[in-house]
Amino acid sequence: MAVTAVHQLAQCITCHAWSADRSMVALCPNNSEVHIYRLVEDKWEKMHVLQKHDQLISGIDWSARSNKIVTASHDRNSYVWNLERSEWVPTLVILRLNRAALCVQWSPKENKFAVGSGAKTVCICYYEQENNWWVSKLIRKRHDSSVTCVSWHPDNILVASTSTDGKCRIFSTFIKGVDAKDPKNESRFGELIVQLDLSPSWTFGVKWSPSGNTLAYVGHNSVIYFVDDVGPSPLAQNVVFRDLPLRDVLFVSEKMVIGVGYDCIPMVFAADERGIWSFIRYLGERKAVSSGSRYGSQFSEAFGKFYGQAKQGGSNDASETSRTRGVVHENCINSIIPLSRQGTQIRRFSTTGLDGKLVMWDLETEQDLLELLVH
Amino acid sequence: MASTLRPYLTCIRNTLDAAMCLQNFPCQEVERHNKPEVELKSSPELLLNPVLICRNESEKCLIETSINSLRISLKVKQADELENILTKKFLRFLSMRAEAFQVLRRKPVQGYDISFLITNYHCEEMQKHKLIDFIVQFMEDIDKEISELKMSVNTRGRLVATEFLKQFI
Repeated sequence: MAVTAVHQLAQCITCHAWSADRSMVALCPNNSEVHIYRLVEDKWEKMHVLQKHDQLISGIDWSARSNKIVTASHDRNSYVWNLERSEWVPTLVILRLNRAALCVQWSPKENKFAVGSGAKTVCICYYEQENNWWVSKLIRKRHDSSVTCVSWHPDNILVASTSTDGKCRIFSTFIKGVDAKDPKNESRFGELIVQLDLSPSWTFGVKWSPSGNTLAYVGHNSVIYFVDDVGPSPLAQNVVFRDLPLRDVLFVSEKMVIGVGYDCIPMVFAADERGIWSFIRYLGERKAVSSGSRYGSQFSEAFGKFYGQAKQGGSNDASETSRTRGVVHENCINSIIPLSRQGTQIRRFSTTGLDGKLVMWDLETEQDLLELLVH
Repeated sequence: MASTLRPYLTCIRNTLDAAMCLQNFPCQEVERHNKPEVELKSSPELLLNPVLICRNESEKCLIETSINSLRISLKVKQADELENILTKKFLRFLSMRAEAFQVLRRKPVQGYDISFLITNYHCEEMQKHKLIDFIVQFMEDIDKEISELKMSVNTRGRLVATEFLKQFI
């Protein structure tokens, strides 16, 4: 089975992030605190509780090299936490937002981070050495609605953002003094590079592929969009799938994407040799869906048919099993974070959901997927 | 009559399955607030198309969704005056105790008999398929309850009338 471990860490988890060595995990248990757990001999111990925010924390990211945690919350603030001796010390970041912050991510070089907000703006924050604080620059125009997710391109300059107005936009965040000047790439800060208007519904979960060549994001209409060769003439594909929409995606290799969402079970998408993306399968699906009738045997189902339809509730009927599809998660999965990286491939990743479970997955046991990965 | 009940309920169940994909979403209009967008209707991009499922002219179900909340309004079959009064009284009794039900709305939407408001908080605390089962079960039980009430009113009326008219024999 693809699942290696299941941990019930809270009643409901909003977001999570792993430390660089993957020994500690920071998560938000659906309130205004961040709990940091460490795996000590098979048991999770709560090491730290970071309390500074007033409202729900919507995004956490832990930088790998500089070991800083950035948190963004619905109270319009963001803090950067530094580990000093054994205490996490917060530094307020003046985001200059007048609405909630919805998502946050460190840039690949970890000198900047991006925050998407309900104020229809994206803030790019960088550290100003002279004044010893984090400064934010706002990308003010262009968005018509809340920015739900941001993702950095591997070149540390481009940022993709998705919004509830259905569009995915890619901006340049070149900041003089922080980024090295690139003669090929003459772009100003906040310049809109590409606007992708592919989805009629809200968009979430945008991610770049490891090389930065492909972009993937999901729409609430149960479609996942793949855009190759992002630039002046992008090549877009959409894959419509049967069930409920996704919330987040992860590129496990250049050609394979795992999506998670309201189905409570990860979905695998892959591109074949021609570059056409399609849905492969679910990870760890429950084998027989119809056998999960709550009142048990086929006997009671037959009796139900005898007595006519106006009998007991819908759960007796063979066609109406409104049970969750997921074997492991019982409620919507809202984030997926890579755990281990081998070159550009990710073999292990973790997911958290509204059921409060942190589940770790390993693709090593899935032979057919491994073959697609190696391509 | 019973033959249209199953497809009606299955249709509602499937629609609710798709519509109940809610997430926590802070208000775009007012800072630091979190309101059910389906009630406010302040940002049209956050609302989805409402779906109206009709069993016949007198029974229908309106499902309106938004990014963080879902409103289900039901119109129950009322064949005659007596059923009209019974339905109104019974559903008003339930709506007044909306706190106990958590997902019930205190006042039904204009043109309907009873409304439910389900928010992302309900989906976090409770399981989605159980909420859907509850709504569908509720719809089945309402019909049964109203029929039972009507029968008991008629029975009682008959008994009282018989007793009263005995004195004139």
